Amino acid sequence: MLRIQNLTKHYKGSNKGVTKLNLEIKAGDIYGFIGHNGAGKTTTIKCITGIHGFDEGEILVDGMSVKTDTFACKQKMAYIPDNPDLYEYMTGIQYLNFIADIFGVVAKEREEKIQKYADAFEITASLGDLISSYSHGMKQKLAIISALVHDPKLLILDEPFVGLDPKASVVLKDIMHQICAKGGAIFFSTHVLDVAEKLCNKVAIIKDGELITSGEMDKIVDEGTSLESIFMEVVNDGKAD
Amino acid sequence: MMVRQISILTKALLCNFLNLNVFRYTKDKKKKRNTISMALLWLMLIAMAFCYVGGITIGYIKLGMADVVPMYLVTVSALIILFFGMLKAGSIIFQKNSYEVLCSLPVSQTAIVVSRFLSMYVGNLLLSLVVMVPGMVVYAIFIHPGIAFYAFGILGTIFLPLFPMTVATLIGAFITAISTRMKHKSVVVALLSIIFVVAIMVSSLAMGNIEGDLTTEMLRNFSGILVSMIEKIYPPAVWLGTAMTEGKVLQLSLYLVVSIVVFLVMVILVANNFHKICQGLYSTSAKHNYQLTELKKTSALGSLYQKELKRYLVSSIYVINTIIGPIMMVWIAVGIAIVGVEKIEAIFPINIIGVVPFALAAVACIMTTTATSISMEGKEWWIIQSLPIKTKTVFDSKILLNLTLIAPFYVIAEIISILVLQPSLIELCWLILLPIIFIVFACVFGITINIRFPMMKWENETVVVKQSAAAMIGGLGGSLVILLCAVPVIFVDGFLGELVKMGITILILVITLLLYTQNNKVNLSTIE
Repeated sequence: MLRIQNLTKHYKGSNKGVTKLNLEIKAGDIYGFIGHNGAGKTTTIKCITGIHGFDEGEILVDGMSVKTDTFACKQKMAYIPDNPDLYEYMTGIQYLNFIADIFGVVAKEREEKIQKYADAFEITASLGDLISSYSHGMKQKLAIISALVHDPKLLILDEPFVGLDPKASVVLKDIMHQICAKGGAIFFSTHVLDVAEKLCNKVAIIKDGELITSGEMDKIVDEGTSLESIFMEVVNDGKAD
Repeated sequence: MMVRQISILTKALLCNFLNLNVFRYTKDKKKKRNTISMALLWLMLIAMAFCYVGGITIGYIKLGMADVVPMYLVTVSALIILFFGMLKAGSIIFQKNSYEVLCSLPVSQTAIVVSRFLSMYVGNLLLSLVVMVPGMVVYAIFIHPGIAFYAFGILGTIFLPLFPMTVATLIGAFITAISTRMKHKSVVVALLSIIFVVAIMVSSLAMGNIEGDLTTEMLRNFSGILVSMIEKIYPPAVWLGTAMTEGKVLQLSLYLVVSIVVFLVMVILVANNFHKICQGLYSTSAKHNYQLTELKKTSALGSLYQKELKRYLVSSIYVINTIIGPIMMVWIAVGIAIVGVEKIEAIFPINIIGVVPFALAAVACIMTTTATSISMEGKEWWIIQSLPIKTKTVFDSKILLNLTLIAPFYVIAEIISILVLQPSLIELCWLILLPIIFIVFACVFGITINIRFPMMKWENETVVVKQSAAAMIGGLGGSLVILLCAVPVIFVDGFLGELVKMGITILILVITLLLYTQNNKVNLSTIE
């Protein structure tokens, strides 16, 4: 579903970025991406979603290159950023309708999807209000609904649980499982290691822009240990066992 | 404690003045280059202002009106501060972004208000220096005044921004207070601001008219008339001017006391009501009673266009800055109708019908929305970047918005022009076609410039709309190109003139097409 090959992206005048990153996310995967602040998680995600270009390597979505088939790749995926800066001058429903228009979702289908997810996240009554009146959590919920309105095959999320109330977190996890059950894939960054350990079947740990370890959660986290202890070990030593 | 707080807050506000902090700390060479280009542009504008003010001062001195020069300089400075201050005072004093952060800190509201006024003062002081310094230097070279001129002049210039800043803030607050209760806040703010701007323009025109009409009177007592005129418009200018030329301490004291007292009263008033005003401005109402109804599907371009329109109408400063041009286009047509073609041709011996299409287009494009439309996306730019939208569709929606804004004004200006000028068939074609071609060119050119000089990280949209490199180059550049194209038309008439117009039209069409094609090839991820 998503293949990252030798991805290298460095910012001008800065040492930060990502160096020769390789990852493969298959259909049905819920892939956790963890690392300390400034490790390169958001940079990687922004390269995948086409927000940033990259210096070297290749990113393939469903076999298509993000570099050359940008439009087709974006049609298949959806992105939810860590800080949902949405169009504050629009109402919630106007924003969702805008996103649905861009993806060309037919009217009936968008109505059903919006009703379903807005009810699930309990923000239907607020959809007629301006986004500027929303709390951080409500904006996050709206961003999630907008990402789901076109039925993406690949969902890319940057710190999706920040700002969500406990019930919304449960709803989001359920939706993630549903997408994977339908043959889709999820790739998300998080600092909440407990959630990653319970939710993901695969995980990758990144440090200073380089991949430290990646693979099946069961193989990385042995019995009697936790993702937290593994994470602390690898980021301190710089190498996985 | 209070002084320390004011000092810390003012430093924080000023640290990014003219992007200095970015220039100092960024390691991105492109950003450094942009800041340098911006600084060079400012220097060029300042140099032009120096030449203009210096020239006018020489003119006044040669006409034997040296005594009027200082008060004239003070009045011009005050009008400039009033004009710009009125449009941006509200957004600086009641800035939303840092309001909530500061409210949570142990900082007094007086310190917040005073620091914001001080940061605005620094900008306004620079504006007044641009007028006062060249004027005073020229005056000193020609007149050789005494020490009082320099001492009082420097002291007066330091306090010069206080009075116009106060008036600008009061007008800004008045507009804000009225609009707060309205549904379409930004449109009302824009409308009221435009009324005030037009009022200033009309009053300055009236000032010019008095000069023109009273020719015989002027010969006898021109200085006296000008002094009484300035006294009516802005009395403090006469006080400072007299103090500088005649060394009157009493007049200087009057000027200083009035400036300081008026300013302090206003600062105290704002400081005491700061939270109340901010809460009134920033509190949002939510009905929380929405029920999903039938949704309509629109094309990507249509949806982006609607988004652009919503974005445009929500920003009063964006509306004000870009709608003045189209209004002036109608103003020009009305002006020609009132004054009459014969009278204008008597003063300027040129082919008016040939020049009007250029003039209409040049003013309509004084500030295009496209020149800052990418920058205005700001922190929400990720949405467009991550969505499956073609670059062409994104830019087309921005160009369409600009064309829609100009269209009604264009139609009115054209109808008036056609009725007044009564052109021949060929002249009619040029009158209709040339402005359209130039307006489309300026809109496309605006996008090109904004791609080159994007400003995606900003706190206050005033900075993007009024002070960014794209706003200056893209906004004014289009008009400048049109005016340059008009030059050969002024000098060449007849068949050759028609050929020149044809050549210009083809050239502009080719350039527009080239720019449009190049713009649409840009990868949106590279604009950051």
